[in-house]
Amino acid sequence: MNPVRVAFAVFRKDVRSEWRTREIVPALAQFIVLALLIGNFGFVIDRTNAANIAPGILWLALVFAGLVAFGRTFAAEREQASLDAMLMTPASPVAIFAGKALAATALLIVCEAVLLPALAIFFGTPLSADVVFAVLLATIGMAALGVMFAAIVARVRARELMLPLLTLPLWIPFVIAGGTAVQSAMGLPGNYQEAIGLLIDFDILFVVLTSLAARFVLDE
Amino acid sequence: MSLVVGNGITHWFGRELALEGVDLVIDTGEHMAVLGDNGAGKTTLLRILSTMLRPTSGRLQIAGLDAVKERRRLRHYLGYVAHATGLYPALTAAENLEFFCDLQEVARTRVEEALDVVGLVPMAKRRAGELSRGMQQRLAIARAILHEPRLLILDEPDTSLGDDAADLLTRVMRDKTVVMATHDHALANRLCQRTLILRHGRSHGTASRLHVVK
Amino acid sequence: MNRYEKWAAGAVALMLVAGAAIFFYAPTDYLQGPVQRIFYLHVSSAIAAYGCFAVVLLGGLIYLRNENAVADRFARAGALVGVIFTTITLVMGMLWAKPIWGTFWTWDARLTSTLVLWIIYVGYLLVRRLAEPGRQAARLAAVVGIFGFIDVPIVHFSVTWWRTQHPGPVIVNDALPAAMLGTFLFTMACTLVLAGVMVWIRYRIETLQDEKLHLAEPVQVVTAREPEPVP
Repeated sequence: MNPVRVAFAVFRKDVRSEWRTREIVPALAQFIVLALLIGNFGFVIDRTNAANIAPGILWLALVFAGLVAFGRTFAAEREQASLDAMLMTPASPVAIFAGKALAATALLIVCEAVLLPALAIFFGTPLSADVVFAVLLATIGMAALGVMFAAIVARVRARELMLPLLTLPLWIPFVIAGGTAVQSAMGLPGNYQEAIGLLIDFDILFVVLTSLAARFVLDE
Repeated sequence: MSLVVGNGITHWFGRELALEGVDLVIDTGEHMAVLGDNGAGKTTLLRILSTMLRPTSGRLQIAGLDAVKERRRLRHYLGYVAHATGLYPALTAAENLEFFCDLQEVARTRVEEALDVVGLVPMAKRRAGELSRGMQQRLAIARAILHEPRLLILDEPDTSLGDDAADLLTRVMRDKTVVMATHDHALANRLCQRTLILRHGRSHGTASRLHVVK
Repeated sequence: MNRYEKWAAGAVALMLVAGAAIFFYAPTDYLQGPVQRIFYLHVSSAIAAYGCFAVVLLGGLIYLRNENAVADRFARAGALVGVIFTTITLVMGMLWAKPIWGTFWTWDARLTSTLVLWIIYVGYLLVRRLAEPGRQAARLAAVVGIFGFIDVPIVHFSVTWWRTQHPGPVIVNDALPAAMLGTFLFTMACTLVLAGVMVWIRYRIETLQDEKLHLAEPVQVVTAREPEPVP
């Protein structure tokens, strides 16, 4: 049994399905643009305060887009009863989990490719490599946690409600550290190096923990 | 040689007793039908046999392996066609099977062979979502036999298969040990040597050929 | 009166004694006035809540390791009682903060992490309620409980690294007069007894419910009955 091969097969299957149907990405991109629009009206943004508010709106949009994206990854398997078929095989649940997490990460990165330029255009914030790097680092840990809780709520009732309820508290550390990193990268106070270091620590911690938990969440 | 030996298999769903003390023995190469009304426990029994559901109590051994403790190893030997087909609608018929070849660790040449058994070779490049319900059922059967399982578990496989259901299933079941749940007494008589009758979750014994109709 | 009722009555009586100590024995704080008396129960119930969630963590870990139904029932009981004590902590903290800080709420590390704690374990209870009872609910909830327990110190640390204004621990660096310290320790002991009794009673309720749902210890049939002969 080669777990890397299994993970890659699951990843390719998900990406290929999304590429053919284009069910999630266009809707999410639209969602992100709308979030920026609402942010603009909600905060009465002008040239002077845009730089202060932009990082917050970035994380709000990213967190809620992420919830939708991760919710879909397992909801689709559940509706088609294909999760059972996949788990019936001798493939390791951890490898299946890794494949789903990679596919969800790819999905969120595509959304970020819309979000970051849109933020730069609408709010006039700098789109630097530092900002992109911080957001990508946060994406890794958020995806690991998001997919794990998506797998959990796929097995409970009222799952649309339960996913944010369980996931958001665990994402807070990423929003705090990522928020500080993005703020400082956009010229506001904050220690960029320290925030990036924390993000890396959180990524390692939660990727390891979710891999350990995957067996209990997916099996049966 | 008995491939499946189950003793006192019992399952509770909350306060509902779905199966009560079912004993069953299936010999290698035997085809066994499971007959019963809706809610008699057919699907529960099949899900327990497929290791996807743990019995509340009782023992089940398949191919000498414990169905609870050694289920991961056991899954190499099991093929299961559930009620829902669980196919990926955006992938083609062949891609659906190729994906499961990767998970089962069998060569992709098996795709062509499995499609041939269920008569879907001309549809290999069509997306699963575009196939008719009957063809989707065939594809699900092809997926279950990719790895040449020792025990094939079929939950009402004749649904939506149409007129040639019996011929197709005969081809699929040849040289395999099979448990098949069905409503259709005639089909059970034709395809299976033995029938297990379930009523309200209890086994009412087995018969070699079924002549009583309820 | 059965033994559960006796223990419950005893725990309530202890809390009343603690209340008397708080209001009549402990001196009034020079700076904060009578509001300071909230401190005794506020800190005690926070400690009781942490204890309950430690039970959830341990129960979850044991359950994931060997599917021990007893461990799972203790985890369930601990989560419910822990949420109750966290609620008490939060409400009393807010009542104290209004006159002292001039606001019910501030986003400081201890407040934020306690709120997160509360949200996570309410989520835990909801998972228990919304998943199929038995193994599935137990496993999924165990994972939620374990992640929740790990998350709280991380949130606390993340916010500390940001900013904080919650008063630091006052007990350890003997800033507290003896009468206050005595009252606090006594209240804490009584609160822990109360929490323990509550968990114990809840454990009993969970056991009875499991028996109704046929989830109590699955009876493994080991009699190797002779399989019926094949006709």
